[in-house]
Amino acid sequence: MSAAVGAERPQVVSHVQQALSYTVFDCKWVPRSARLLCLGSAARGTGLIQLYELHGARLELLREIEKPKPIKCGTFGATSLQQRYLATGDFDGNLNIWNLEAPEIPVYSVKGHKEIINSIDGVGGLGIGEGAPEIVTGSRDGTVKVWDPRQNDTPVANMEPVQGESKRDCWTVAFGNAYNQEERVVCAGYDNGDIKLFDLKTMSLRWETNIKNGVCSVEFDRKDINMNKLVATSLEGKFHVFDMRTQHPTKGFASVSEKAQKSTIWQVRHLPQNRDVFMTSGGSGSLHLWKYEYPAQRSKKDSEGSEMGVAGSVSLLQNVTLSTQPISSLDWSPDKKGLCVCGAFDQTVRVLIVTKLNKV
Amino acid sequence: MPVWLREHSWRQTLTAVYLSLPLRGARATPANIFCSEQYLKVSIPPFLFEAILYAPIDDTNSTAKIGNGNIFFTLYKKEPAMWDSLTLANADKQKLQYLRENAVLKAHEKAKEETEAKKITKQEHKKYALEATMKLEEEERKRIEDLKEKERQKVAKELELWKNQQKDGIKYKSIQKKGESHQEIEPLKERKSEKMNKTRIPNEGASKSRLKSTKGCHGSCSIFSQNLEEEQLPAPRAAATIKVNFTPRVFPTALRESRVAEEEEWLHKQAEARRIINSDLSELEDLKEEEKNPDWLKDKGNKMFAMGDYLGAVNAYNLAVRLNNKLPLLYLNRAACHLKLRNLHKAIEDSSKALELLTPPVPDNENARVKAHVRRGTAFCQLELYTEGLQDYEAALKIDPRNKNIEKDAEKIRHLIQGTMQSS
Repeated sequence: MSAAVGAERPQVVSHVQQALSYTVFDCKWVPRSARLLCLGSAARGTGLIQLYELHGARLELLREIEKPKPIKCGTFGATSLQQRYLATGDFDGNLNIWNLEAPEIPVYSVKGHKEIINSIDGVGGLGIGEGAPEIVTGSRDGTVKVWDPRQNDTPVANMEPVQGESKRDCWTVAFGNAYNQEERVVCAGYDNGDIKLFDLKTMSLRWETNIKNGVCSVEFDRKDINMNKLVATSLEGKFHVFDMRTQHPTKGFASVSEKAQKSTIWQVRHLPQNRDVFMTSGGSGSLHLWKYEYPAQRSKKDSEGSEMGVAGSVSLLQNVTLSTQPISSLDWSPDKKGLCVCGAFDQTVRVLIVTKLNKV
Repeated sequence: MPVWLREHSWRQTLTAVYLSLPLRGARATPANIFCSEQYLKVSIPPFLFEAILYAPIDDTNSTAKIGNGNIFFTLYKKEPAMWDSLTLANADKQKLQYLRENAVLKAHEKAKEETEAKKITKQEHKKYALEATMKLEEEERKRIEDLKEKERQKVAKELELWKNQQKDGIKYKSIQKKGESHQEIEPLKERKSEKMNKTRIPNEGASKSRLKSTKGCHGSCSIFSQNLEEEQLPAPRAAATIKVNFTPRVFPTALRESRVAEEEEWLHKQAEARRIINSDLSELEDLKEEEKNPDWLKDKGNKMFAMGDYLGAVNAYNLAVRLNNKLPLLYLNRAACHLKLRNLHKAIEDSSKALELLTPPVPDNENARVKAHVRRGTAFCQLELYTEGLQDYEAALKIDPRNKNIEKDAEKIRHLIQGTMQSS
């Protein structure tokens, strides 16, 4: 499957393993530092944010913050590099933005949804991309809402089911196409296999499809460029890579799909330093590192003369099994190539180093 | 009768006896020669040569050479002494017999010992081979581990280096910023006020790009270009809603490809059940339009059950079943009525029919199946058929392990069963 020779393949080295006393749902690197955050739920039903620093071969706990409701997801995507505020979504549907130096009172808080916020993403911060900083949240109540931290209480965009329609859980959201101030899209994945692409400039549904399995995770390869590729992972071990450069009027976007393993693929994360390399984490506790290869021609004309995209191919660079429980969260460090953190349901967080990514 | 070979010749030294035995044309093989400590026999049918030796010999080292129509024996004596004769004289028949048997036995034993010894050596050889391979594999594994360890250390060192760089970088930047900031404040403040007037219109891509070019200079300029940028950020979007339609899905659970077939089957069955109407009943003509609708009848039955009119409810369900006998919920609810009326056998029948109709088991009909099992279990228990009742409760627990009531009831039944078993 892999074209790389054995000795030249990237290796996934487990650098540090830290056992936690709570269930960790999300882990994120703090940008521009060797610190990472773990977000989760303690046994007594409260939320925990723990800040660790990487010291040699161990993680040192710097801060522990407890909140009344368990926290499901978090992002640094919408804050500036100086402030580095953390936006979190919790089990009760509250969106909060915290200043980690003074975490008692949130900088921004809104009860955005009626049910748990499953997924959160931010764009416009960290010196990446252009335009207003915005946060999107997807919830079990079937709605996807976009928030601007400067506007209280009401979302700037709300994607909700039509009146009378039974709702489906939204499991994942992602921003993309934010290459200038006006353009932005939000991609949302639902539990009935729907993937919907909302264009925020025209406030309309740009594309939708159904991949026959509940969608666990979607991510664009880069948020701040003209949308290039979108990876959507699902239940039953499948993931799809869509080529987003060419949209056909009826057929939508071309895609290639791969069945990696028998279990759910919980997360996909692209390497910040190379947008064609991504890692998927599975329900069997394994991580797979993939590389996407573009086809010779990315688009071709179909019989009616309209442009149609051509999907490339995906090859497996490496896979490793770290745990017996699902690895539910994964994050690459934006500062050091190959450094990543993953959190699994066996209550451990692991810092991994993927070597030889320069040769990929 | 064998032909005895008697024309042998022999000579001896202190330690050995040399015996030469001519074979009259017969061909000999090692299998024909049988030798033990004190007994020597050569048997080539029909020829036979037999000798009870004067004294014991060392039969393992003695040899026999076959050739030239002759067998030449070299027998090494156990005790170096000169023999009076080759064979024992005065050997009576019994002694002969005894010696023969002994010899045979001894030969057998020896053969057994030899095979034992062979087996042991074979085992030892195998063990040695195994240990050798294990060692080799261990070495290989160690080599790989070492490689991995080296990689790990290398990578850890790089990480430390990078971290230190980061720390130094930040320190340097902060010092620089502080130094330069004082100088830059004055002129930039003026520029700031200018820009503010221009940027009333939020989506001024052009002005933003002009400012962006200042980002190119590192360190000191960055704070201020950042501040100016914030003024340049577009205003929050005008709030809007996008209405969404979902791909229809009947079940509340997530879509999984592998379950689609089962779910389809269940939905199909439900649809079928709705469509069946047994319309060839003459009594139907008397009924009003709505009374011919099984769903309406089911609702009526539910209402009567809620009010306590169990007989009326049973009637309603009966009629509904006559119209459409494929709706599992009708049987389920009728079973509940029969329970209240203490028609226990009927309750069991109806719950069983309901369960039959509730296949294939999908998460959608979980509730119904749990209820059916519980009702049937209760009926069994009231009939004092506790084991059957327990079976049903356990089935219900399997579907819904978190239901405390079912657990409690199952426990009670178990105690009852144990109680009756002890007393009987």
